[in-house]
Amino acid sequence: MNTTGELTLNMLKEKFQVTEMRVESPNRVWARIAPDKILAIAKFLSNELEFDHLSSIAGADYGEALEAVYQITAYSHGIVLTLKAKVPKSNPVIDSLTPVYWNAAWYEREAYELLGISFRGNPNLAPLVLPAEMMGEYPLRKDYKGYPNPT
Amino acid sequence: MGEVEGAGSETAKVRPIQKIIDAHVTFTTTSAIHDFLKKTPLQDLINWGRKNSLWFLTQPMGCCGIEMICTGAPHYDTDRFGIIPRCSPRQADVMIISGYITKKYMPALKLLWDQMPEPKWVICMGDCSISGGPFWESYSTIINTEKYFPVDIYIPGCPPRPEQLIQGFVELQKKITAKQDRTQKGDT
Repeated sequence: MNTTGELTLNMLKEKFQVTEMRVESPNRVWARIAPDKILAIAKFLSNELEFDHLSSIAGADYGEALEAVYQITAYSHGIVLTLKAKVPKSNPVIDSLTPVYWNAAWYEREAYELLGISFRGNPNLAPLVLPAEMMGEYPLRKDYKGYPNPT
Repeated sequence: MGEVEGAGSETAKVRPIQKIIDAHVTFTTTSAIHDFLKKTPLQDLINWGRKNSLWFLTQPMGCCGIEMICTGAPHYDTDRFGIIPRCSPRQADVMIISGYITKKYMPALKLLWDQMPEPKWVICMGDCSISGGPFWESYSTIINTEKYFPVDIYIPGCPPRPEQLIQGFVELQKKITAKQDRTQKGDT
């Protein structure tokens, strides 16, 4: 399939709610999507557009909202698509991508313990890099107060 | 079942003898012998032996670990000081904390330290193990190593060169000779 990044964005816009999007270069694009559509979009990308590789899931804290950032790319056409989904901090729940990309489980565990984005459907949201007693503290959030103060 | 009863009756027979032994005989203990030896000049001989066989635990934790491994390699020939890298905590005398200690790694490090037989010493190598280094304000770094281990030697540097580590060992040898290390002072 010979899609450019812009074409991919247009197809996404036709089928799903895309609130904001930008073309950085012919094969690097990003889009801000509604959080409840993420699983449907991932299925569409994986089945129809040959996006077969989830590079990473990052997270960001915007005060009132948390954001999950997905980097999805393909071996066949090389487009790097960044999907951003904002979830409210009071109820940060988003669908897990494990049914589509198996490696999402690891990234989701990391985003869960460091930022507290809860991924619905992940089979095992267990501690990965944090010690078990620090679970629930979410140290990468902006309002985290647990940093040492030796002065 | 019968064996258990037999054993029970045997201890019942032994018990009066044990009472007599407890009343009239004083057994010495290993720590009593050690305490006695510390007051004699023989301790200097023991210290001479200990300071010339400081085997360290090859347990690299960060970029200082590279320098630590290369110190044990042939180029620096630490064997001339009796310093040999060992891979098992059971055979080691010195633990070199060579990197940042995270809260997740702390239980494993404590386990290694507990597995080492006495007498044992700790060397803090590099800024990370002394004060956290560049990670000192992190949520997961332990910045007060002193609280968890009886540290004898601090080697600053980021990372220190192998020569500095060897000098640290030499300082530790001087401390052992002068009986000023924390194992002998009972400060552990």
